[in-house]
Amino acid sequence: MSTPVPRLTLRGVLARKWRIFLTVLAVVSGVAFVSGAFVLTDSVKRAINELFATLSGEVDLEVRSTVAFGDAARAERDPVPFELIDSIAAVPGVDKVEVNILRAATVITSDGEPLRTTGPSFGIAWEGPDGLDGRTLVKGDIARGPGEITLDQSSARRAGYEIGDTVTIVGPTGKGEFELVGLNGTGSTSNGGGAAIIAFEPQTANEFLGAENRADSLYIALSDGASREDVQQAVQSAIDAKYEVITGEQSAKETAGAINDVIDIFGNVLLGFAAVSLFVSAFLIFNTFAIIVSQRLRELALLRAVGASTRQIRSMIVGESLIVSVLATVLGIFAGMGVAVGIVALFNATGAAFPSASLIVSTRTILASLFVGVGVTVAAAIIPAIRAGRIPPVAAMRPELGFTALQKNKRLVVGSVVTALGVAFFGTGVFIQPGNVVSTLLLAALGAVFIFLGVSSLSTTVAAPASRVISRTLPLPFFPMTRSIPGRLGSRNAQRTPRRTASTASALMIGLALVSTVAVVAESVRQTFRDQIEGSVTADFFISNGPQNFQGLPAAFAERLQQLPELGAVSPFRATVALVNGDEKQLGAVRGSAFKDLVDIELQTGSVDSLDAGMILLHEDPARDYGVGVGDSLDITWQNGTKQTLEVGGVYADSSIAGNWLIGLDTLAAVSTAQPVDFFIGAKIAEGVTIDDARVAVEKIAEDFPSAEVQNQAEFQQSQEDQFNQLLIVIYGLLIISIAIAVLGIANTMALSVFERTREFGLLRAVGMSKKMLKRSIRWEAVIVAVFGAVLGIVVGVPLGAAVTFALPESFVTTIVVPYSTIVTVLIAAIVVGVVAAIGPARRAAKLDVLEAISST
Amino acid sequence: MSESATPTLTAAASAVDAFKIYGKGDSEVRALDGVTVTFDVGRFTAIMGPSGSGKSTLMHCLAGLDSLTSGTVRIGDTDISELSDKALTRLRREQVGFIFQAYNLIPTLTALENIRLPLDLGGESGDQAWIDQVVDAVNLRDRLDHRPSELSGGQQQRVAVARALASRPRIIFADEPTGNLDSRTGTEILKFMRRAVSEFGQTIVMVTHDAVAASYADRVVFLADGRIVDEMTEPTADRVLDRMKSLGN
Repeated sequence: MSTPVPRLTLRGVLARKWRIFLTVLAVVSGVAFVSGAFVLTDSVKRAINELFATLSGEVDLEVRSTVAFGDAARAERDPVPFELIDSIAAVPGVDKVEVNILRAATVITSDGEPLRTTGPSFGIAWEGPDGLDGRTLVKGDIARGPGEITLDQSSARRAGYEIGDTVTIVGPTGKGEFELVGLNGTGSTSNGGGAAIIAFEPQTANEFLGAENRADSLYIALSDGASREDVQQAVQSAIDAKYEVITGEQSAKETAGAINDVIDIFGNVLLGFAAVSLFVSAFLIFNTFAIIVSQRLRELALLRAVGASTRQIRSMIVGESLIVSVLATVLGIFAGMGVAVGIVALFNATGAAFPSASLIVSTRTILASLFVGVGVTVAAAIIPAIRAGRIPPVAAMRPELGFTALQKNKRLVVGSVVTALGVAFFGTGVFIQPGNVVSTLLLAALGAVFIFLGVSSLSTTVAAPASRVISRTLPLPFFPMTRSIPGRLGSRNAQRTPRRTASTASALMIGLALVSTVAVVAESVRQTFRDQIEGSVTADFFISNGPQNFQGLPAAFAERLQQLPELGAVSPFRATVALVNGDEKQLGAVRGSAFKDLVDIELQTGSVDSLDAGMILLHEDPARDYGVGVGDSLDITWQNGTKQTLEVGGVYADSSIAGNWLIGLDTLAAVSTAQPVDFFIGAKIAEGVTIDDARVAVEKIAEDFPSAEVQNQAEFQQSQEDQFNQLLIVIYGLLIISIAIAVLGIANTMALSVFERTREFGLLRAVGMSKKMLKRSIRWEAVIVAVFGAVLGIVVGVPLGAAVTFALPESFVTTIVVPYSTIVTVLIAAIVVGVVAAIGPARRAAKLDVLEAISST
Repeated sequence: MSESATPTLTAAASAVDAFKIYGKGDSEVRALDGVTVTFDVGRFTAIMGPSGSGKSTLMHCLAGLDSLTSGTVRIGDTDISELSDKALTRLRREQVGFIFQAYNLIPTLTALENIRLPLDLGGESGDQAWIDQVVDAVNLRDRLDHRPSELSGGQQQRVAVARALASRPRIIFADEPTGNLDSRTGTEILKFMRRAVSEFGQTIVMVTHDAVAASYADRVVFLADGRIVDEMTEPTADRVLDRMKSLGN
């Protein structure tokens, strides 16, 4: 005995291969994101862990300064003086002690430009392959004297150098010229994961990198047979308690962990976009199955008539979605591996060299992919399946009775309730922000999902009138045929199945709503930033370490600028972390006497000069939170454990440049023995000097610091905006995938509609409509649907963006800006989307044979 | 009226005081306006009438495909107006067979799978010898693995007849079974339905407006404006045609 439901299900899928192919494609893209995110993070993390395990090489123990608080890998540690080496070497069981020095340094390419890297660029002390760390010599010889270096092979190649060439390096002490004697290697990568590595002989490193006989840490190798625990304890007792002795493995693990955290963030971003594209796919799936059900109305009714139960019909439709989803998930997992490989390749192409990693597809990856792929598809098919079960058997003879059964619903009520719930969730998440960042984000995201679902449901009600309005208001010069027959037909067709029009448009709505939301927030932040720079920045020049911004500039630069007669006020901006009354805070360090002329921080009370007298300034918000004002004191614990009490010297209102806490440069210098690094330097021209003359003078000093970038106010603003724009481009780029899925959805709906209207098209052609006109009417219909989706997206997205903007702290945003240019772009994009989506269906409709079309049932 | 409401043992199906009313007030349409009729076991009955006479509605209601506004329909001893959707589905699967004018077959299933569909849906294996007999009777043995799209219109309709017979239902309803066929294939189908009644004792109720088709039946029931207006036994095509003319068709 055979059961007909599985058979009917399978045959149903096979009979609609192409229809279902589009659905599969949509699911695949969502699943690919999910599996790609997992495969990428798993694979790269393992490779990074292996890399750092290799790098720790023969280091058995490591000696470094302790920190009072903060993340072990990222904390700013005091250096370890070389004097310790002798006392450590004297400990029984210690075979060898090496210095670890790693400082920011930049390679100047053969073209005279600073070498751009995606990772950090640094100089290190290296004893060569015989030393304790795990770096290898790939080619040539190691640096053995003051005038020699080795470079990682990727940096050497990209900078245009070969062994024997003279290379200019800029380090903390300035510029130096070295002979490239060899190429170093790091594990399996051609460089250190996007970093440039300049290896010096240790004594040269000490001098050129400005270590001043103080290492970042000391590496220890044990003699044969020595017990690591015993030696670890013996070394610890031989040195001061402000130093700690850890194992090489722990050190490697900490460093790898810090990088793994970054990779996890990257993976989470990918998962976020997976969620968006799956959500959009759900609409496409829902639509496809809804249309398939109505097209098979008579077949399903016949099955009911000959004795299929409601449940059998439902299982059949759900079963079809199950087949589709499993197929799509399997493809999606493979596509995800492709995504992972592609992202690694992309990063490698831009100069980052990920360690070569074998792809890891873990059980978790497969389960998560199956869960989302199958879950989303089946969930989206459930409503069409339930509706299919409602088809009465009499529809086998009178299909019109079946259609009414398919259209029963309470959309308005359900839609309103869901939308209201969504607004409530979103509002609570954004404005009240319960719990931590994660719960806030989840609540806001859930709210957004509900709003999208609710609006999609409500949009059915307005789809017909909206289509009419759109077809009348789209600029006639571009679409002169709106009044013609094809124009009217396209418009009426969009109106005749409002539910279909609405759910097709909804898929596009989601992507475009997110684009609108991001655009509003971004434009508002940008405008606020502009206002702030114009209002608060009075400096004439900003100097930063352009391509290697996060590494900062050597302190020597600011000191030399200070000597220039062409400049008046000059202050570097340094950053540090400290516990303020027990809470970890970011502190900025500046020269008060100069800073007050460079940035207007809207001082409320006190003076900026008080910074130079060792006082602390703070923004009015923390001042209120901590209940302190001028003259009160705050307990500070620095990262190296030093405790201090600082007096509040002033309270200010503008934190856009200064942040919430400011201290004087001398306060920082007194407590920190770490090499000072300037994140940027602000400078104002001296009285009576033209800005051009001052620039010439500044640029002249900058020649000794080739990586430095000198910018005036406008350039500074532009460069900040450029960074911002890059971020936006990435976000928009990923959202485009969800829009592409929506295009698939429109194309799919149009194709199904064309199929349904075969007879109608036959009739139209018979009474004299040309192929061109027929195509035009289909294109027009698709454009109307797409524009409807775009309008919905804008209507939903702009208020969401405004709400997010409103909820952001004032230091980010003070004004809400509606980005009209983006809105216009979105609308134009929608028209293009419609036209593109209609290409296939229109061509198909035009190909119909008139006689066959008329006689088809 | 009340006497005929009691079903006799020989009734395969019956309707008593059947009303089917669409709409309300001025737009009220009485598709069935008090129909009482009985269909005897082992007989071939044709329901005739002009367009809009209510003959299709009567058949849909008798078959449990549609529900009455008021009145009773019985299949065998079962009052189907009281059945749940689940029980109705089961009744259709086990006790009723259908032959429609068109779109009788599931396009994705083969001829044999279509024939076995009601049995398979109920998870029954059926009587294989009987199915073989039916398949041979409709002369489809060499077409069993074909999909409907690979069969001619007459062959498709023969599959539909075989499907209706496969589960040995109490009654088969046929809705214009020859309406889409040329006269030669139509005759073939009618002869076969006739044989099913005469040789296998099958009960068939057929809706038609073709007098020739009706002449294959044992009895013809005439409907006009939702009421039964006449009956005829041992019909011939000419007599049926005359009667129809008088009904203003």
